[in-house]
Amino acid sequence: MAINTSSVRVAWITPLGELLAPPRITAGLLRLLVQTVLVVALWRGLYADTEVKAGLTREQAVSYAVLAVLASRIRNLDRSASRDEVIQHLHFGTIVYWFLRPIPPQRYYALRALGDQAYGLIWLLSGYALCLATGVVELPASPEGAAVAALSLLLGQWVLYYVMLLIDLLCFWTLRNQAALLILVFAQNLLSGVYAPLWYFPDWFITMSGFLPFQATLAVPLSLYVGRIPLHDALPQLAVQAGWVVLLAVLTRLLWHRAARRVVSQGG
Amino acid sequence: MSRVFHTTVRRPGLRGALRSLVSPERVAKTAVEDVSFTVGAGQLLALLGPNGAGKSTTIKMLTGILTPTAGEARVAGVVPYRERERNARNIGAVFGQRTQLWWDLPVRESFAILRDIYGIGEPEHRARLEEFDELLDLSSFWDTRVRHLSLGQRVRCDLAGSLLHDPPVVFLDEPTIGMDVVVKEQVRGFLRHQVERRGRTVLLTTHDMTEVARLAERVVLINHGRIVLDGSLDEIRRRFGGTWQVRATLTDSEACLDPLPGIALLRREGAQLVFGPESGLQGGERNTPTAHEALRRIIERFEVSDIALEESDLEDVMRAAYLRADATVGSLASTEPALRSG
Amino acid sequence: MTTTVRGPAVRGFTARRSAMAVVWRITKLTLRAQLEYRTEFLMMIVIGAVWQISVIVFATVLLTQFSGMGGWEAADVLLIAAMRMMAHGLFVLFFGRVQYLTQRVQEGLIDVCLLRPMSVYRQVQLNHFPVNAIGDLIVAAGLFAGAIARSSVEWTPGRIAFLISGVLGGMLVEAALFTALSSAALHFPAASYWSSWLEELMGTFGNYPLNILPGAVSGALTYILPLAFIAYFPAGVLTGNGSALGVPVWVAACAPLFGLAGFIASRLLWNRSLRHYTGVNG
Repeated sequence: MAINTSSVRVAWITPLGELLAPPRITAGLLRLLVQTVLVVALWRGLYADTEVKAGLTREQAVSYAVLAVLASRIRNLDRSASRDEVIQHLHFGTIVYWFLRPIPPQRYYALRALGDQAYGLIWLLSGYALCLATGVVELPASPEGAAVAALSLLLGQWVLYYVMLLIDLLCFWTLRNQAALLILVFAQNLLSGVYAPLWYFPDWFITMSGFLPFQATLAVPLSLYVGRIPLHDALPQLAVQAGWVVLLAVLTRLLWHRAARRVVSQGG
Repeated sequence: MSRVFHTTVRRPGLRGALRSLVSPERVAKTAVEDVSFTVGAGQLLALLGPNGAGKSTTIKMLTGILTPTAGEARVAGVVPYRERERNARNIGAVFGQRTQLWWDLPVRESFAILRDIYGIGEPEHRARLEEFDELLDLSSFWDTRVRHLSLGQRVRCDLAGSLLHDPPVVFLDEPTIGMDVVVKEQVRGFLRHQVERRGRTVLLTTHDMTEVARLAERVVLINHGRIVLDGSLDEIRRRFGGTWQVRATLTDSEACLDPLPGIALLRREGAQLVFGPESGLQGGERNTPTAHEALRRIIERFEVSDIALEESDLEDVMRAAYLRADATVGSLASTEPALRSG
Repeated sequence: MTTTVRGPAVRGFTARRSAMAVVWRITKLTLRAQLEYRTEFLMMIVIGAVWQISVIVFATVLLTQFSGMGGWEAADVLLIAAMRMMAHGLFVLFFGRVQYLTQRVQEGLIDVCLLRPMSVYRQVQLNHFPVNAIGDLIVAAGLFAGAIARSSVEWTPGRIAFLISGVLGGMLVEAALFTALSSAALHFPAASYWSSWLEELMGTFGNYPLNILPGAVSGALTYILPLAFIAYFPAGVLTGNGSALGVPVWVAACAPLFGLAGFIASRLLWNRSLRHYTGVNG
């Protein structure tokens, strides 16, 4: 994908909308702050009488939970207020314009998502710096651990992109899947380990989520960060993440093709 | 060019809905059948027809969104649904109230995004915006976010947005729907300018007959997915709107009333004579004179002290045309097509 | 004489009955409309099953891992989670559409509703049938049965009545919060952002005894965002944890009344907001 003005411009659409609406940034900041405070309070409260649970110490659990809150911010933009979700474009019929421009809809979608995620990453990094400074989050055990966690986070975001794309593509077939969407978002939150680290769950649950892509988005990078997955076990985990990227890339490519054909056969 | 859609029919009632869940019943519906026309470069063609006649389907096939079931379309030499992206550079499109602008951004930002997507140079972009601003008065609201614009403002912005990349062919699906008269007139002026000065080819669908009368040199009438008529407005008037009457008071009331070709004397009302088209009230024959022709012939033939023309207006003509679905297909070919479907 | 006295009362009764008939008829129609979207309907049933399992697993996981949370027995904590979920399911069934008011406003639905001779709020609720509420309620019922079976509370008629009113009160608290938020949605599309946050907060913090949190935080979840009234207070009263709720027991016991009052207040706010409704652009 050649980097040119049009790509940058398209990627910039959502961040621009955000920057032009300062109340939205304030709201995001407030929400993130409150959520972090609450999560820290919750996990410290839960660990009041315990030292170690499921291999996680209090500090590890708090670091994990806070980073989960920050990381979920990466793709937590509210596009619906901007009437810019795929489901809304389908609903209002404005999806036709995606097919009337000299940029393929797939590419347009990918660029938009890239911009969203890059913008979210800035939030993550600023929040992370603040949490480090206030001592809420601990540094990873080693520089190697940090590097592996960063790489894993990148792969995780890549998987997340495909999961979101999959959800959006489903809208082409089920126009009113708002509820299904909520359920999938919920599944993503639960099975990716945003609500609670997967380590607390029963073994069968961990095994099951091993077969699903969700844990690859957050649980793996965060576990690597806090050291719950030791460095010498990192490679297979990274391989699984990469495997999901490839698999989902093929699947979504196929679905895009069929979604486009569907627009072409129904006229959007 | 033809297009068949497959849809699922729902059975009535809650039980029917549950049954449809298990075994949907599918039917085929032909939206467009053998629609065939060409449009010359720099022409404005109005695609008319009642709701559901197949206008939008035709436009979608020509913009590359839909693939025809049978037949072929070419827009500026490109088969739109086969080379969608190449076609996209050649065309601009506005679909009624659906906006292509980004809801949350000021209009000018949307224009900038489109500029980069289409790869337009900055000086060119600025010059074009200036031109559009002059005609459509955009600068008074183009720093507003799209969500805060009124309908008329938004559609004007959409029109500008669709022409930013200087497309030779433009598709407008009911662009003036819901606009007030002032804005409508502004948009018409803009479209006329685009056709006459910029030489763009415009394909327009509308239900506004004043618009058709003001803008369209040529009209294609579609009904039930077929072309009913392809010609000028006068031709439509002649075929479907023969319901004119000419009231004339002759200076010499005893003048000998020889029959005029195609014109019949309907009745006398005192000193007034009432003429109408021959053979009943309906036109449709090629040799039936239009109201204006009849007026001319009557004045040439008789010495008239007072004359008035009562013509059925365009809306009546269109109503007659829409209702007569059985009418035969007429066609006019033009040279050098900018757009061809068949 | 009799007729003149009883007339208005009877008319009021039949009017209310026919209003209910209209509500029922529209609900049936909207359910049928949901059935139109075949793939979605079927998909929701499939995904719903997966979802149910995950929710119950999630609720029980923390309980088994961190038993004795805030001095509460695991079975009692489970009751908080069950009551909250039941209240939430009922909320989705009866009031859930306020959450999506922003979309309805954007579609211009409010303008349409204002033209019809029925309460706009009710029309919003009747906009579509909440198929997801079925899933919510099934999960909630399962969890509820489990919690009741494991709890050591002796279920006297009085306690059962309080349990039911507690759940209904919880539903009303949730309805009040989302209704109040949606009065802002009539004017500001950004309200949907807060609405989704509120839902997230409830999902995350509604299921535990709030006394595990520092006083300032649990106070905020009582007095600023009255999350505590949804399930924590009534469950605390029922399970005998009433002394450590951060408020006097009688306040906690009045949670259902608080819900009712809150809902009425939020509806008044909503109506007020509707009077100032100016519509979507132009």
